[in-house]
Amino acid sequence: MTKNFSTLVTAALLGSATMAAADCAAPIKVGVLHSLSGTMAISETTLKDTMELLIEEQNAAGGLLDCQIEAVVVDPASDWPLFAEKARELLTVQEVDVIFGSWTSVSRKSALPVLEELNGLMFYPVQYEGEESSKNVFYTGAAPNQQAIPATDYFLEELGVEKFALLGTDYVYPRTTNNILESYLQDQGIAAEDIFVNYTPFGHSDWATIVADVVALGEDGKQVGVISTINGDANIGFYKELAAAGVSADDIPVVAFSVGEEELSGLDTSDLVGHLAAWNYFQSAESDLNDEWVAAWKAKMGDERVTNDPMEAHFIGFNMWVNAVTEAGTTDVDAVREAMYGQEFPNLTGGTAVMLPNHHLAKPVLIGEITADGQFDIISQTEEVPGDAWTDFLPESAVLTSDWKDLGCGMYNTETETCVQLTSNY
Amino acid sequence: MLRIFLLALAMCLMTPAMVTAQSLQSLLQTHAEEVLKPGRRTVGVVLDDLVDSGLPQALPFLEAWRDRAIVQRTSDGLFFRAEETGDEVALFDLDSGEAVATVPEDDVTESRPNGGVRRAIGDALVQFQLSDPDIERRRAAVEAIARSMDASQLAPLQASIEGEPDTDLQQIKTRLAGMLGAQFSETTEDRIAAIEALSGDLSVDVRAVLNRILSTDTGVASAVPEDANIAAILIPGVDLTEAEAYDQLVAAELAPPLITAAYIRAELEANIEGAFVGGQPVAKLNTDANREIAYDALADAGIVPPRVTPTQQSEALDAHVFFVSYAEPDTAITDAARSALDAIETRVGFSQAADLGLDALSLASIYFLAAIGLAITFGVMGVINMAHGEFIMMGAYTGFVVQQFVPDYTLSILIALPLAFAITFGAGVAMERLVIRHLYHRPLETLLATFGISIALQQLAKNIFGTQARPLTSPEWLDGAWVLNDVIAISYIRIAIFVLALIFLALILFVLKRTRLGLEVRAVTQNPGMAASMGINPDRINMLTFGFGSGIAGIAGVAIGLYAKVTSEMGADYIVQSFMTVVVGGVGNVWGTLAGASLIGFLQKGIEWLNPSNTLAAQTYMILFIILFIQFRPKGIVALKGRAAAD
Amino acid sequence: MRRSFLIENPSVMWFLAGLGLFTVVVTLMSEVTGVGLISTSFVKTLGKTLCLCLIAIAMDVVWGYCGILSLGHFAFFGIGGYAIGMWLMYARTEIVVLESLSGQAIPPTSQEISDAIGNQIFGVVGSSEFPLIWAFADSLFLQLVMVILIPGLLALVFGWLAFRSRVTGVYLSILTQAMTLALSLYLFQNDSGLRGNNGLSGLQNIPGYEGVSQATISIIFFIASAIALGAGYVFFAWVVSGKMGSVIKGIRDNEARVRFLGYHVESYKLFIFTITAVVSGIAGALYYPQAGIINPGEIAPIASIYLAVWVAIGGRGRLYGAVIGAAFVSLVSSWFTGGGAPNVDLGFYTIQWTDWWLIVLGLSFVAVTLFFPKGIGGLFDYLVRKPS
Repeated sequence: MTKNFSTLVTAALLGSATMAAADCAAPIKVGVLHSLSGTMAISETTLKDTMELLIEEQNAAGGLLDCQIEAVVVDPASDWPLFAEKARELLTVQEVDVIFGSWTSVSRKSALPVLEELNGLMFYPVQYEGEESSKNVFYTGAAPNQQAIPATDYFLEELGVEKFALLGTDYVYPRTTNNILESYLQDQGIAAEDIFVNYTPFGHSDWATIVADVVALGEDGKQVGVISTINGDANIGFYKELAAAGVSADDIPVVAFSVGEEELSGLDTSDLVGHLAAWNYFQSAESDLNDEWVAAWKAKMGDERVTNDPMEAHFIGFNMWVNAVTEAGTTDVDAVREAMYGQEFPNLTGGTAVMLPNHHLAKPVLIGEITADGQFDIISQTEEVPGDAWTDFLPESAVLTSDWKDLGCGMYNTETETCVQLTSNY
Repeated sequence: MLRIFLLALAMCLMTPAMVTAQSLQSLLQTHAEEVLKPGRRTVGVVLDDLVDSGLPQALPFLEAWRDRAIVQRTSDGLFFRAEETGDEVALFDLDSGEAVATVPEDDVTESRPNGGVRRAIGDALVQFQLSDPDIERRRAAVEAIARSMDASQLAPLQASIEGEPDTDLQQIKTRLAGMLGAQFSETTEDRIAAIEALSGDLSVDVRAVLNRILSTDTGVASAVPEDANIAAILIPGVDLTEAEAYDQLVAAELAPPLITAAYIRAELEANIEGAFVGGQPVAKLNTDANREIAYDALADAGIVPPRVTPTQQSEALDAHVFFVSYAEPDTAITDAARSALDAIETRVGFSQAADLGLDALSLASIYFLAAIGLAITFGVMGVINMAHGEFIMMGAYTGFVVQQFVPDYTLSILIALPLAFAITFGAGVAMERLVIRHLYHRPLETLLATFGISIALQQLAKNIFGTQARPLTSPEWLDGAWVLNDVIAISYIRIAIFVLALIFLALILFVLKRTRLGLEVRAVTQNPGMAASMGINPDRINMLTFGFGSGIAGIAGVAIGLYAKVTSEMGADYIVQSFMTVVVGGVGNVWGTLAGASLIGFLQKGIEWLNPSNTLAAQTYMILFIILFIQFRPKGIVALKGRAAAD
Repeated sequence: MRRSFLIENPSVMWFLAGLGLFTVVVTLMSEVTGVGLISTSFVKTLGKTLCLCLIAIAMDVVWGYCGILSLGHFAFFGIGGYAIGMWLMYARTEIVVLESLSGQAIPPTSQEISDAIGNQIFGVVGSSEFPLIWAFADSLFLQLVMVILIPGLLALVFGWLAFRSRVTGVYLSILTQAMTLALSLYLFQNDSGLRGNNGLSGLQNIPGYEGVSQATISIIFFIASAIALGAGYVFFAWVVSGKMGSVIKGIRDNEARVRFLGYHVESYKLFIFTITAVVSGIAGALYYPQAGIINPGEIAPIASIYLAVWVAIGGRGRLYGAVIGAAFVSLVSSWFTGGGAPNVDLGFYTIQWTDWWLIVLGLSFVAVTLFFPKGIGGLFDYLVRKPS
């Protein structure tokens, strides 16, 4: 099964794969920069395992450029400065050819200056707030227009929501996303006073007052919806309190951007049934490729393990990188970067992901309803949406565009037709 | 639209003979795409046709569709009702209702109506369900009406009230009819009567109805229009800023737009001639003043529109009147609604204050529960136990583990509470024997040593249970909330925590004041030497006291885990707050801890109320307040006096 | 005076000599000289460790010598980092912005420049306006003054309030802990104007020196940290050696008696508290350009507790003890958590140090307080006193 799958995903490689790996000077090194301890370990360890699985399969299929691929795993321990330190170590001491890693914007921004200084290459697999474009990073997770905006459209179009509560944990992703959404909603004719914004600390547990505030929003007779960028553990208390207040998904729907299969696994999801999440991937997606991927994952990690969106991002990112290296015939960063543009690879949800010149993917947006078994019932799936580094809904960034292929600039001002800067704004 | 299809429905019912014999399947086939992938805006056509068809099998179809039991067979595109059995699905014909075939899951595609579509289906079902013999269906119909009120529903709803056998449902229907009546009755008198009947009701949907009647538009004109139902006249500079007012004028095209700095810049760039613009050298245009001079020169030359001067702005403002007008033209109705709403809102205000008070009380009881064990070990014994938070965590994990073995939630909680006490009591005693007793005269070092234990325990929990939050599920009878009125509500779990906190307060007071152990504890605390010479074994007392305090932390852990979550870091979340609770309240006194917890809980909720969009800020200001409070009252709220106060 | 002071304190001479030798060796073996035995990332680690040693000495003076267990000195460290970080970010962004604006037809106004810089710095955290606290960010000199002034002022006000009310012992510890918690929660808010959870990043790039390689920059900061540590060591050794030293040690041992002797205890404590806060700020200002990023997580209460732990393990009441503790524990910690230590296979269970290191650290901590209250530095007593 696994083998079959590998051959499928590396179909492009078949020519070179048959050759022996013996005439290889040194193995190709892939750096894995995910926290294995600390607060982020719960999410990131899964991605480390994903990378190991992908590399195993690639090696079983004959490796890359006649070489075996070797994973160099380091642990930045959820400590943001360590991401910079470990990235430097990977690039200078271990001399890896590419890095797959980071989760959270602050860890990425910590590693960015090092990547740009040493001209490294990193694949970042998690949804983020955009407003950044680095020559040295490929963003395989969702930009706001690939998750937040379609989910908001769904609220407006399908659920007829007229009043929005934007609840988030107080950090950069929710702040920026909510800023974009506020601006977007006002463009869509939602009045400023119909948008309620609230920020809570990480791991917040005292939700009674906030839930009461949200319920009270309905007092002018408008349909209320919650867009939640609440992170991690805090979600549990939030949904518990919603349920205790007798609020069902039919009364006030909640769409979450940070709740996926991994977060729900092992939880009692009865309070969450019917609420929504928006991602580019759900384990319940129906495609043969996905069935095989889920089976391979479960075979490696155990039956109770689930797959999720950032895993698919690494899946696509890694395979695109493999294909780009094969095409370029070298692991040299600049050559690979050139070869990355326009790379296509099948999504696990069906359809094809394309790497754009702005280092983002074109991917479909899925909206799922949480079911009692911690999975998602996919109720909406769009066509592939091209990721946009600079949002069109904030005046400062609407004029910016990113195009590393033709313009050679990640922060290009289309009004003045100048490149604002070549490095990224970390 | 609903009105039209109701009409159509009525016609169908009246003239059944006219309906052509048509199967449901063939009807669905004409809308195959909409049935398979329904959207809120596209589903209306299907629903209209279904209702128009008058087919009796449309009702079970709609219900099955709403419940996501409709599938399309991939091979021939036919729709069926499906029942899942393992990997296979049994298909039932939609017209005859008979079982047709059993096929593998992959051979059919599910139709998954989303929330918006389900609501539309619910609306369509209302007509069939309002007088259905099944009470569940009638209830569903009433809920559907309540979710999307519409003028057309008033008559059928009113008609169904009389025949309603269930008194509860009848009441709900009457209330709903009142809300519909307030908006859609034919005559002004009827509407005002309905509005007045609503004025005692605090619920969100009644306020929604009144607010909808009172919906307003802002307007601007040279004079107040005669026919408008004016809610208020706005004065620029008082009710809205002059800039906003001028923006309204511009939006209404009653005044020329302001020339913005960005516009000036763009125009200047467009009109550069050599090294000059409007007579100014380009290099000097790095201040706004110079740019304005250059722009004015261009304006004088007629190249660009002139800037709007402040005088022109205020003249334009003076020449117009800004007002807010009701969409509802009838003044009598808006007046009635306004007074009803005002009355309601006053009461809502009081209720919200009461609700906030309850939340604060609940928060205080959580802080109290987290800190009460500390009040004993730190407050009474003077031992700084940084691992106190980890005892809370141990208690919570005990609850989690028990739930893995005892599936009955009530029973598991009953087992978990004493077990958590026993385990943390044991851990506390062990810690006291092994570490703390060697450090009684070095309090700062106790702090460090217990901190070492704290990080070790935290990491141990991570190694055993993982970093993911673990659920601790409360028994069903603790689900839901105690609803006093439509605003004041508090979840049962919080009440349970409050009660638990009271029980502990009583228990601790009883133990300390009324038992032999308590007497000995107080004796040892005040003067260990003297106590020892009276035949009390201070070692034993210290050990028991420490164990007791730790055990209580364990029980608190179960309670906190029930209301939030169980993680290895939950103890760390509470430890600083707990210490502050004890210190603010006054060390060495259980009442002090109570006072400290109340102060912190109420103050935090108060700050949150002042700044509802930022809970983090509330916590920050809370801590700042505590720091200042301790500076000015170092002994806490309830300060001990006399000998016991010596530290 | 100075000579006699050094002669009276031979340990200071030894320390300076050792530090100097260490600095020279590391510099020679770094990538700058082409030897490259020590990688740039390790030079950065060593440089950061020196800064941690500096704040550890400050902690030792305030706790080991004066008896005030402050659990908030990392707040001052963080403030120093933020102060220098603001200038680094501002100046770096200003260069980028000026360059991109210079391409336009009309020269930019100062407001436009400021808006563009604000947009660059705060655009990524969802706002674009310059908060008031950035008022001096364009001036390196003023921000360097802030590095000293803000920690000093905060410590002065906080200390004045606390010592005046005779808040002592564990109460003071909890209060200082609350202070650092409040500060980190405040900085966590996006509204604080310091980019919330993201903090200030890219600090390793020094504006105006874009062409200089990180290998060189890391060595410069390493040497600067070594000089700061040496100067700090001499300064604190001098503070704790004279009459002043006797008084503050007296305060540690019995505050009431010192007060009865006529000393104004509060002033001494306030002086020590403030001066150590200033040194902590300087250490932070040197540390974060090497770390590259500062964010509120850095000043969470746990960091300050670790600081106390280092000093305790190294040995309180002796400056070299603090240095040993900070260097030893932080380097060993990063070795274990960085996966440097080999896993131990027990047959039935494999000990992975990334998982078990904290447990070992925690327990060794208990062991040190119980059995070796003098810490690692106490071992020197054996070496020195045995022969006599």
